[in-house]
Amino acid sequence: MRLLEFTRSTTFRWTLAASGAFILCILVMFGFILAQAHSYMTTDVDALNNEIANAIASHEPEQRILGLEQYLRADPHHVKLGGLFAADGRRIAGNVETLPPMLRGDVAAQLASLIKVEGGAREQQAVRAVARALPEGGTLVIARSDYEFTWIVHIVERALTLGLLPALCLSLAAGVFLSIRAQRRIEEVNRKVQRIVDGELRERLPTRGTNDPFDELARLVNCMLGEIEVLVRRLQGVGDDIAHDLRTPLTRVRVLLERARQKAGNLDELRRSVDQALVGLDQSLAIITALLRISEIEHSRRMDGFRNVALADLVREVGELYEPIAEDKKVDFAVSADAETNVHGDRDLLFEAIANLVDNAVKFTPQGGRVELSLLRNGNEAVVRVCDTGPGIPADESELVTRRFYRSDKSRRDPGLGLGLSLVSAIAKLHGFSLNISSGPGCVAELAGQSAAA
Amino acid sequence: MMLETVAALTAAPEALDQSEPDPGRETESHAGPDERSVMSRVLLIEDDAETAREIVAELVDRGFEVDWAATGIEGLDKARAGEADVMIVDRLLPGVDGLAIIETARRERVCMPVLVLSALGAVDDRVRGLRAGGDDYLTKPFAILELVARIEALLRRPSENRDTMLRVGPLELDLLSRTAKRGDRAIDLLPREFRLLEYMMRRKDQLLTRAMLFEEVWNYKFVPQSNLVDVHMGRLRRKVDAPNEQPMIHSIRREGFILRAPA
Repeated sequence: MRLLEFTRSTTFRWTLAASGAFILCILVMFGFILAQAHSYMTTDVDALNNEIANAIASHEPEQRILGLEQYLRADPHHVKLGGLFAADGRRIAGNVETLPPMLRGDVAAQLASLIKVEGGAREQQAVRAVARALPEGGTLVIARSDYEFTWIVHIVERALTLGLLPALCLSLAAGVFLSIRAQRRIEEVNRKVQRIVDGELRERLPTRGTNDPFDELARLVNCMLGEIEVLVRRLQGVGDDIAHDLRTPLTRVRVLLERARQKAGNLDELRRSVDQALVGLDQSLAIITALLRISEIEHSRRMDGFRNVALADLVREVGELYEPIAEDKKVDFAVSADAETNVHGDRDLLFEAIANLVDNAVKFTPQGGRVELSLLRNGNEAVVRVCDTGPGIPADESELVTRRFYRSDKSRRDPGLGLGLSLVSAIAKLHGFSLNISSGPGCVAELAGQSAAA
Repeated sequence: MMLETVAALTAAPEALDQSEPDPGRETESHAGPDERSVMSRVLLIEDDAETAREIVAELVDRGFEVDWAATGIEGLDKARAGEADVMIVDRLLPGVDGLAIIETARRERVCMPVLVLSALGAVDDRVRGLRAGGDDYLTKPFAILELVARIEALLRRPSENRDTMLRVGPLELDLLSRTAKRGDRAIDLLPREFRLLEYMMRRKDQLLTRAMLFEEVWNYKFVPQSNLVDVHMGRLRRKVDAPNEQPMIHSIRREGFILRAPA
């Protein structure tokens, strides 16, 4: 079975195809050479035949027989044919049995079939022949068999058999070797991939450090696997966070209801507990709603709702919305939106993003602190900046905060869903804006996007 | 469930005072739709039987007459019959988009107000367009209280009269001069507070949920993380209800606000 298996492998087939092409090339080349040789030899033979026919024909009639016989005698390879025929077609001299009709009179070089007689033996031969009409009547035929050419073809055939067969065997062997090698590697990769598919995300494809394309591919795939592993781990983390954030209020609800069922003495007490339980349920519901909203924004690639948005108005509106909240919390709140600038985007989503940033800032700034919301122009960019004098975000957490449910440990006890910044991040991504969270003395959040023409 | 209070509270206004820790709980058992002289009929187009049963039960409890259609075709037929006063349409019906049903109905001059229930779609322009027509939509998951409050709001569309003066009890709002008075006392309002009060006065005695206020007065459809509406409402309340006056803006814990003339 294994033997059959490698014949199906791509490498093996390609090797076969390559050797096939190679052999075809050689055959074509030899064919060409033979054709060339044949044509050259034919020309040569024809010239020779003509020369001899002319020489003999130019002799006196009685000298011709002698000349012809002399010529035919010196023939170690038995290739020469010649015949002197009387006007009535009777053979006077030479080894050609009869004069075929096509060779009567002056005939230029051509292929002919003649019967050669030599010491009683008759032999039909394919020859190149010329004929000369003699002045006193009669015909002289000079011909030469293609024995030499046949001989050359024979040699070439032998050379090809001796050369091509081993070459073919060699290329077959190479094909088998290469395909078995490739097969082994592919099988190894398949095994690893199967393990990865089965959930073993730590598994990596084998590399040999040889820098061949296969190795390069394996390295690239490994790189990709690394990315996927990180993403999957992060996703698992998110799942855990969701479970945790939902479990906390739900556990509270359960305890509340259980206690109320056992302890409540009258309808009023029961109602109070139920109300508290409802708060917990609403909180869980709010988490789910926020999650759905984020994934909705992340998955909507809809840009057709995008218009030119006057950011200054938007910033002032957010300011107006949050001014009372900041005041209630005794946090100084300053809004500056002097730069009139437009961006291309969804007004409602941008409002939501900025509102979330301000919401966060106000929430995390202690009493007596200060929150600044400002719209700046930085070259071609419009920047909405929210600074506060809150605890800030440690440098190593500034990327994490945009992740779902991430909440700085310090702020675990503050209310909130831990989803605000990931929502802002999703909105920024949809718009192709950048969201930078850095730590000054407090926290500085910057939402920056390309200005649009007004 | 969090929906018992609307009807109950409409029946017992004196119990709504915020200073009461547990307002009006005793009186909750079905006061009924005392303000609707005729029973309002609701057409519910919802394929999920469980959800439908819950909604129907609650609405019937509140004195609505509910007609349930489980498919879009059936719903459209019932809408054509024109017997309902308001229609609740789930957007995600098997085989059809609920919006398509509404569009068809509208083309056929069926003009009852519609509340669309949608699984997602807060950023959907088509749904947004709905709001312009006076219809409303709710994103799942929703509290049934929110649904009921919105149905009530749809049924009692504010009178679009040309009056430039709105009055609720001693409260007067002059839409031309943009001034407000309670009795002889002038109330100084910021523009947004003015809009908020106008919205509430046009819908006096109706429960207005936070989400409804945020959508209608601020024009934003998202759930703000902080208690934004409460804070703004608190400011307005301090201006409208002076310490020595009977309160007119009542908050219903966890649910919303009602503006009511003093008894």
